[in-house]
Amino acid sequence: MENISFPSANVKEINELLRRYGVKFGIYKNGEFKEQLFPFDTIPRVISADSFSYLEKGLIQRVDALNMFLYDIYHEKKIIADKIIPEEFVYISSGYLPQCEGITPPKKIYSHISGIDLVEGKDGEWYILEDNLRIPSGASYPLIARELTRTASPDCFSQSGIVDNRNYAELLRSAMDSVNCGGINAILTPGRYNAAYFEHSYLAELTGAALVQNNELFVEDNMLFQKTYTGGKTRIGALYRRISDEYLDPLTFNPCSVIGVPNLTEAYRAGNVAVINALGNGVADDKGIYYFVPKMIKYYLNEEPILKNAPTYLPFYEEDRKYVLENLEKLVIKDVAEAGGYGVVFGSDLTAEKLADFRQTIINEPRRFIAQEVIDFKDLPIIENGEQVMRKADLRAFVLSGEKTRVWASGLTRFSRNPDSFVVNSSQGGGFKDTWVLSR
Amino acid sequence: MGTISIISVEHSDRLFWLGRYTERFFTTLKALEKLYDSVIDKDQYGYREYLSAFGLSDVYNDYKEFFKSFIFDRSNESSAAYSLSRAYDNGIVLREEISTEALSFIQLALDDLDRAQNSNQGLRLALHPIEDTIFGFWGCVDDHVCDNETRYIIHCGKIIERLDIYLRLKYPFEIIDAEFGRLCRCLSGIPKNSPYHYNQKQLSSLVEIMGLKDGYTEQKDLAVSSLEALFEPTGRS
Repeated sequence: MENISFPSANVKEINELLRRYGVKFGIYKNGEFKEQLFPFDTIPRVISADSFSYLEKGLIQRVDALNMFLYDIYHEKKIIADKIIPEEFVYISSGYLPQCEGITPPKKIYSHISGIDLVEGKDGEWYILEDNLRIPSGASYPLIARELTRTASPDCFSQSGIVDNRNYAELLRSAMDSVNCGGINAILTPGRYNAAYFEHSYLAELTGAALVQNNELFVEDNMLFQKTYTGGKTRIGALYRRISDEYLDPLTFNPCSVIGVPNLTEAYRAGNVAVINALGNGVADDKGIYYFVPKMIKYYLNEEPILKNAPTYLPFYEEDRKYVLENLEKLVIKDVAEAGGYGVVFGSDLTAEKLADFRQTIINEPRRFIAQEVIDFKDLPIIENGEQVMRKADLRAFVLSGEKTRVWASGLTRFSRNPDSFVVNSSQGGGFKDTWVLSR
Repeated sequence: MGTISIISVEHSDRLFWLGRYTERFFTTLKALEKLYDSVIDKDQYGYREYLSAFGLSDVYNDYKEFFKSFIFDRSNESSAAYSLSRAYDNGIVLREEISTEALSFIQLALDDLDRAQNSNQGLRLALHPIEDTIFGFWGCVDDHVCDNETRYIIHCGKIIERLDIYLRLKYPFEIIDAEFGRLCRCLSGIPKNSPYHYNQKQLSSLVEIMGLKDGYTEQKDLAVSSLEALFEPTGRS
């Protein structure tokens, strides 16, 4: 990797291009919507060909097992009957949707686009931090950043042997086409003021899918249609929805939703439209279920897990609870109901009094939390005010499931801009990097 | 499977207003540049005629304050800057129709307008690159959009806006007539059952006014209101 040159000399030009091309995300502050640029650092994360090959195998294995788990949970539930996963972990999960019982999505694929969050430990080992199987976002950022970086710094790419990542739209389109039930592909967005609107519209442009909102959709004869401006209708065969399950169909889920499509679940149940990702996936990316994913891999695939989970404890189990209560100050505790970096507490940040309170909360609500050892993951260099400094960073890898399960040879590397923080989420001020996978 | 060639109600509306606001920005800028050229050494209060053409009163201390507000002030709904911001608002939801590349020209124009405000260059010189950028935008849209109906809707918006401003500012008949011809060609390309099919009564009224040739200025208010009502459903043929 020593021969690789980075586009660090063109920071200004690249950021100007990002601005020009509208690479923004929305954020609500004090009840007001603001669009801001997603801070981009030009020094990429570099992954060797060997490392990527290893990650690729592990990620495909994991996502295949998760898809099998989802089918099992909404059908025969063998994994519960065989006592691999306690049933309360499934049924108490807010992501488990009884309304999805018995529904078989096209080709039995539930998670078409999986965003798997990993970190690389200082020992060089990769650890899975989280599976995101509902509406993982972020692929568009390294995708457009690569295009713009290649424009501003072509020399960096001429000698380095970096795998081109600009095939993401092809992978996504192919995943949509492979499950399309007849009709066009569409991306359903909650609208212009959604935090990820840039991504919705950019992916629609690149995949040729229609970008739609709920007020132009309707279900008729258990089929989903888009109204056209001449009063006609166009059938939608695959809907890549960027709206959470609970808001997707007010007649099945939250009746107060004003961004959903009435009767969509019925069209989906009838097999007339593929919903991407499928409804009910939240049961598999629940932080509590995460603990059991290695067991799923053994159960469904009869293979040893290739990628490791971060060492995790479930206070639900007495033995684990005892360990968590005794070691709270050195663990990171996650509320299973939260996402986006919220509900994450580092024991080391708590006062003695707060630790005592937290212990009691865990005793009272053991199912609500998981605890993990703090992984000392590798810092990555970023440029800040013209100087190179080191910051915590994770990697969101994207796995796309269609005819085959494939890993995108890139990913979203997010970093913390705060030197003392492990939290990398954009909603909390984090930035992003491109992820370069080497071809040799 | 997957490629779209359909226009939703929402997008047809956005396309039309993207055309209108982009053109409102451009034509306003051009008109103000022409006006600026005359006020610097002829009539320092010449801008009052411009205000009156749009039914606005003079609340400005001098022509410099007027130009600053009408070009750069995004809170002034009659300013070029305001129109450009609204063009962006409409364009951003049309990325997959018009392309990221085309949308980037609007962002570029917004950034250049901010720069022009603080530039030491003469006003007209500072605004030149922005006009080039808008030409780039239209070139990019025409290059990217293959669907004729999409093209007709956005151009309808563009030409209606241009005609509206030209009529209010009493441009020479030949110029107005040429734009009216363009509008008629666009209107004929939009399907009858769409919200952008013309109202026959309003179109006939416009044809009649155009028949007056240079005398159109006597009927310009009627022409402007006919233009505004061109897509109203009442009496639609």
